[in-house]
Amino acid sequence: MSLSTTDIKAKIRDFIVENFLFGSADELADDTSFLDGGIIDSTGVLELVEFLEEEFSVTIDDEELIPENLDSINCVTAFLEKKL
Amino acid sequence: MTRNLEKLKICQRCILPETFPGITFDDQGVCNHCRREEKRAARAPGKKADYRHRLDDLIAEVRDQAPCYDAIMAYSGGKDSSYTMKLLKERYGLRILALTFDNHFISPASLENIARLTDQLDIDHLNFTIPWPVARDLFSCTATRDIFPAPTLLRASAICTACIGIVKSLVLKTALEMSIPLVAFGWSPGQAPIQSAIMKTNPTLTAKNQQAMKNAYPPELSRRLERYLIPAVYYDRYADRFPCNIHPLAFFDYDEEAIKKELEATGWRAPEDTDTNSSNCLLNAFANQCHLERHGFHPYVWEIANMVRQGVMDRDEGIEKIYTDQNANMVDYAREKLEL
Repeated sequence: MSLSTTDIKAKIRDFIVENFLFGSADELADDTSFLDGGIIDSTGVLELVEFLEEEFSVTIDDEELIPENLDSINCVTAFLEKKL
Repeated sequence: MTRNLEKLKICQRCILPETFPGITFDDQGVCNHCRREEKRAARAPGKKADYRHRLDDLIAEVRDQAPCYDAIMAYSGGKDSSYTMKLLKERYGLRILALTFDNHFISPASLENIARLTDQLDIDHLNFTIPWPVARDLFSCTATRDIFPAPTLLRASAICTACIGIVKSLVLKTALEMSIPLVAFGWSPGQAPIQSAIMKTNPTLTAKNQQAMKNAYPPELSRRLERYLIPAVYYDRYADRFPCNIHPLAFFDYDEEAIKKELEATGWRAPEDTDTNSSNCLLNAFANQCHLERHGFHPYVWEIANMVRQGVMDRDEGIEKIYTDQNANMVDYAREKLEL
């Protein structure tokens, strides 16, 4: 069963809120930059990558670890939709 | 002296307080983070074993390949980085370069520990000191102004965030310049999760992260700090040298008392001149106090709550660490030194 964009966004949002905002979602819009907003740092990106690989059964290569793919809920969703 | 916990609701299982952003409690007084952790706990042992294998494989791949050093250790002289360095040296036989960022607040006892352990383990050591006016202005700024985004401050005080930001930059910069394949940190199991315990660094993400840090500071201070960050030309020049970050304490057995005992056998001594959450820094108590006053929760509470939840720290010990008043003399010492 394929996931809708809304479903993907919701899963990513839940992960970010639980793991990096510790349950407080006030400052997280779909286009909020994770890095500029201090939500995750370059280390935290790896936690996100592991989650994406496990949750969506995708493999993410080192060269794909760029802000364009991983720096906001919208970026991650678009990146995942290309891979799924 | 512990603060009056009768007036503050804290989780019955870990130690997170009701003042922690986003926290909720169920009818048994257990917080949402503890409930979430229940699902993960079952998978933890297998994951730790997996990460130990991954580190074994990584080290087998890189050891003795670089010109001079296999790993650079971000070395504060505290117990966690001392133990990590000892582990990497004795278990893996790595050629290590230790780098200490002297922020002008390293305790004298810690400086002795640094010298003793690097001598004992036959490890080369770089001490990097920035001019006092720069350090003073950096810590004064972060103590008095809200310059970092709120999410950053859930895990650490603003002063620690500023200091660690420079440490991370310095070790990465040195690793790039000296072609060192591993950058080691002594993050405790509560400080950084296992998922990021072995991580290949990456030029574009690092650049974005460094830019975010530069943007956080007032322009004049940012300009003065620039030389401690990664120069723009390095991202292309050393693109193939970006190292792996490792923090092994996330997946090796962790017991504070056992670690101290093992270190003490080498001559390392637990400093008596630091606060309960640091074994090297005389600025930490002041940093904690500023954070408590401005945000209403202790900056170490997330880390210590994680350790209680993971069973690597006793809950009473966690409460003692977090809900004991900051030592007033230490707070005053730093405040006066910073001229605040």
